[in-house]
Amino acid sequence: MSWNNRTRIKPGDQAILKLPSGLLKPIEIKPNTIISIGKFGSFHTNSLIGRPFWRTYDILDLKDGEKHARLRVVPASDLNSETLSVDNTPQDDAPVKEDAEAAASANEKFDIVGEDGSIIMRNNRLTVDDTSRQALTMTEIEELKNAGTGSGKEVIAKIMAAHSALGEKTEFSLAKYTLRKSKKFLKRFTVLPMEVGTVAEYIMDKDSSRIMELRPESLGLVASWSNAHHAGNLDQVEGNPTQGRYMVVDDTGGLLVATLAERMGILYPPASEKEPTEQPDPDTNQDDDAMPDQVESTTDAHSGPSRPNPKDTYQAATSNTITVIHPHTQPNLSLLRYFGYILEDTSSSSHPLYSHLHNITWLQLLDPSADTVYSNPPPAVDADTLASWKPSKRGQHFRKLRRHTRTQRVADTTRAGGFDSLVVASFMQPASVLRHLVPLVKGGGQIVVYSPSIEPLTELMDYYSRERRGAYMKMMQERVATGLDVETCMDDEEEDFPVNPTLLLNPMLQTSRVVEWQVLPGRTHPLMTSRGGPEGYVFSATRVLPAIGKVNAKGNFSKKRKAEETVSESPKKLRVEHVEQTKETAATVVGADA
Amino acid sequence: MPTSSPFLTPCATTTSNTLALISLKRDETIPALLHAPTPTDPSDPIANTRFGSYPHSTLLHLPWGTQVAASNVGARERKRGKKRKLAEVNNNPANASTTTAQEDETPAQEEPAFEAAASGFAHIVPPTPETWTASLPHRTQVVYTPDASYILQRIRARPGDKVIEAGAGSGSFTHAAVRCVFNGYPNSGDDEKVIRGRVYSFEYHEPRFQALQNEIKEHGLDGVVTVQHADVYAQGFSGAQDVTAIFLDLPAPWMAMSHLTRGGPTQGGPLHSDRPVCICSFSPCIEQAQRAAAKLRELGWVDVGMAAVQQRRIEVRRERIGLMEEGLRGVTAVPATVGEALGRLRELEGKTAVFNAKRKKNDKRDKGAINGHTTEMDVDARSGTVGDGAVNGHHENGEDMMSKKGLPSGSKQQRLKNNLEAAKARKLYKEGRLTHRTEPELKTHTSYLVFGMLPPEWTEEDETKAVAESLAFEKQEVQKRDKVEEVES
Repeated sequence: MSWNNRTRIKPGDQAILKLPSGLLKPIEIKPNTIISIGKFGSFHTNSLIGRPFWRTYDILDLKDGEKHARLRVVPASDLNSETLSVDNTPQDDAPVKEDAEAAASANEKFDIVGEDGSIIMRNNRLTVDDTSRQALTMTEIEELKNAGTGSGKEVIAKIMAAHSALGEKTEFSLAKYTLRKSKKFLKRFTVLPMEVGTVAEYIMDKDSSRIMELRPESLGLVASWSNAHHAGNLDQVEGNPTQGRYMVVDDTGGLLVATLAERMGILYPPASEKEPTEQPDPDTNQDDDAMPDQVESTTDAHSGPSRPNPKDTYQAATSNTITVIHPHTQPNLSLLRYFGYILEDTSSSSHPLYSHLHNITWLQLLDPSADTVYSNPPPAVDADTLASWKPSKRGQHFRKLRRHTRTQRVADTTRAGGFDSLVVASFMQPASVLRHLVPLVKGGGQIVVYSPSIEPLTELMDYYSRERRGAYMKMMQERVATGLDVETCMDDEEEDFPVNPTLLLNPMLQTSRVVEWQVLPGRTHPLMTSRGGPEGYVFSATRVLPAIGKVNAKGNFSKKRKAEETVSESPKKLRVEHVEQTKETAATVVGADA
Repeated sequence: MPTSSPFLTPCATTTSNTLALISLKRDETIPALLHAPTPTDPSDPIANTRFGSYPHSTLLHLPWGTQVAASNVGARERKRGKKRKLAEVNNNPANASTTTAQEDETPAQEEPAFEAAASGFAHIVPPTPETWTASLPHRTQVVYTPDASYILQRIRARPGDKVIEAGAGSGSFTHAAVRCVFNGYPNSGDDEKVIRGRVYSFEYHEPRFQALQNEIKEHGLDGVVTVQHADVYAQGFSGAQDVTAIFLDLPAPWMAMSHLTRGGPTQGGPLHSDRPVCICSFSPCIEQAQRAAAKLRELGWVDVGMAAVQQRRIEVRRERIGLMEEGLRGVTAVPATVGEALGRLRELEGKTAVFNAKRKKNDKRDKGAINGHTTEMDVDARSGTVGDGAVNGHHENGEDMMSKKGLPSGSKQQRLKNNLEAAKARKLYKEGRLTHRTEPELKTHTSYLVFGMLPPEWTEEDETKAVAESLAFEKQEVQKRDKVEEVES
């Protein structure tokens, strides 16, 4: 069982506090520290330790002799009745009636009254929008707040009592008023563990461009279409020595990697201390155990240390892996630190990502010989010389060697291809990325590209359009006919065919938007406002292996088309090249499967 | 040997008795449980589609994603008939196509090989929850990918988790859910320690239950999905254990919610005894959603909220506009710019002027012709109207003159012909403006999603324990600090 499944808060945990105003605040549960949440008060971390995540806490008032305010776990019933602002759902109209009798005489004039004198609905005809209705002045409210009693509940009660025309408010506006005051004055917070969704929400509020404005619904679409999932526990699936290798181009600071890792079960470190009912995840352990042998077999050129070094497991997993391709010498995956993983940091060596997350630069992928680390192994040293070296020099030698071996291993396995999916969320031109990476995905694999705005993806759709594919196949056919070498000519056509349009099937462009609703008895409607900004678009397609040789599409079945095309040939032997198979083209395909 | 599901751990190639999808076009995919002819069952099922016929033998042992040509099934039948008649040595069934290599390898079976059909092809792709959703046999309303992907994310279904799905229906959500919670098949060695993900699926309708159960078996998912035929309103979720995520697709979800209680020594419910539990109730009508939300609140679930997912698929096309497009397919021949319009109008003006000038000239000639040019008079007589005679005559005359050189240079037909000629040399796929729009078929509403969370249990007992622990911890820390201070001083 991994970290995120633990419900009790432990010292050293990372968490996110959700404040009454809806703001999120990441904290670390360092023992003996005081965490201040601004106007909502402050509390001592020790009082959170051992208590559950997910719960909402009230900051209680200081009692005599106490140094720190105590916390109270707010029961769910309190939370719900506050949201509803009434104790019952409207199906029971009894309380409304009782209330009605008292109110009927006073407020008759501006209510919609039934024949029996009961108020059917209050109406807001006579409400006055004026701040003078609040009898308390701002300074008085401030004093109340400073007196700080009842976790802010008393302040709210007093403010409500001082409102001169509370009785005139309709039930709904009263509920809204109470809720607004609660948001403002309640000394309350909810403790959430670090999860992809919460972290994404936090970054979205703080600096949305850092994660390419990736909305949760887009993230869900990307993760689903990428088909990312745990690779399972079979030692070997027939003909498939490796399972679950995903290739990622990530300009979202690691959010995309985190999302996929969560789906693959490698995001959360195993719980550091065993809880009585919980077990460490043996999958990750098992993988880690298996790795050193493999690594040693590749590195036994040097007489490495006999005890398994955790550093040897670095990026050494062969299944259930994520390979990040990055444009700078180091990838930007800084958000992963919220999940306890820091790249190249041996203190993270127990984290599943330590062996399952690979990274490689574009240079190492496309032109490895130009990369110094890849092409220059440290000079071989015999054991005696090695023994004569100072420990620091020896350490340096091994560090270099390890780095070289790792780089070479990752680059070679990546270049060998056979990935299950390619997932891209990048500012780079999608076509240039797909041109190089699509051939590395295995047949039937998924290609998913996210973009905050639609234009880069319409361009991509156009490169894979039916018409362009038809033209591409015609061109390749002509080349084969004239005996030109297909491969060498490829570069000339980069302008017209930046990607090989025959390698992807069913390209699709979609966008999704979630509309949040307020669902309260008698007051259900979509929220009045929500976040604007980029919609977020997702391109998806399936990698296919085009047939070698001639394949003709079946003609369109529409009568009109048939009439047009059958001029020269009998309808039964209709062989029209570049005529769509209704919407899909085939025409002649040349084996240009790179 | 546990069964391996093509959804979760696909083999490198298509194999017998596993599900493969035959993709014909984007929204037309046909599921096929591939069957290889064996001595006991030599049949070779044929998948017949709008785009040709595909005998299973031509689809087997191919890498996923391969493009397969349709086979000419009829030709073989005919050949087989002929073969019987002749009963001759005809061991050379000609035209062995590339797709029938396996057939050739089994000469014992003296079936003639399938010929590739003249046209038609398909791609053979591995099943994923997405492709399966697009091709599954509909038994009920399907939960589509945009909804499923969002729901599974929000109910935190992750590898190793246990999920309840009630109202399994067509099983589209089942497949998406199992992908999320899968972390290995059960009973394969190290199982004692490992908590494996599982989907508990409930279906009330018996035929649907049967169909889903068969599907789950065929898809190799029976180790990770449990399908039960049960009425969850009355009987609850028996058999489910340690559940942390719930998806309800029921007509009256509130009737099932009271059965969602925590497990453990005292309660014995389906939910995990300790962890937070997330729920999503999926209902098309707002009244259902409201009642579901009210019930959740009543039962002590928090963060009760509602959302609706709106998805659009977008089509991208090139829009070519301009007079050069006149006569080509799929375009509107409108001038692209005011300039082009002016040009065309000027051209027309010029032509009219030429025509009028000619007419004037001919009129003069006609006036002269009255004195005895019989041929012209004959034409007038044929046309029947003396008054219009001159004009008609000139018309015919004019066309006769031009047709000697083929079409008139400025005529519409000539223009269209020129355009068609020019189009052959053009790269139409990259011309025009790239545009996008929502696809014609739009789902404006699928369902309302009511979410809620049951926070970890917290009793008075826990509270007193926590307070004590926190005090003890504080004391410990204070002692530690004191020690450090002592050492330092």
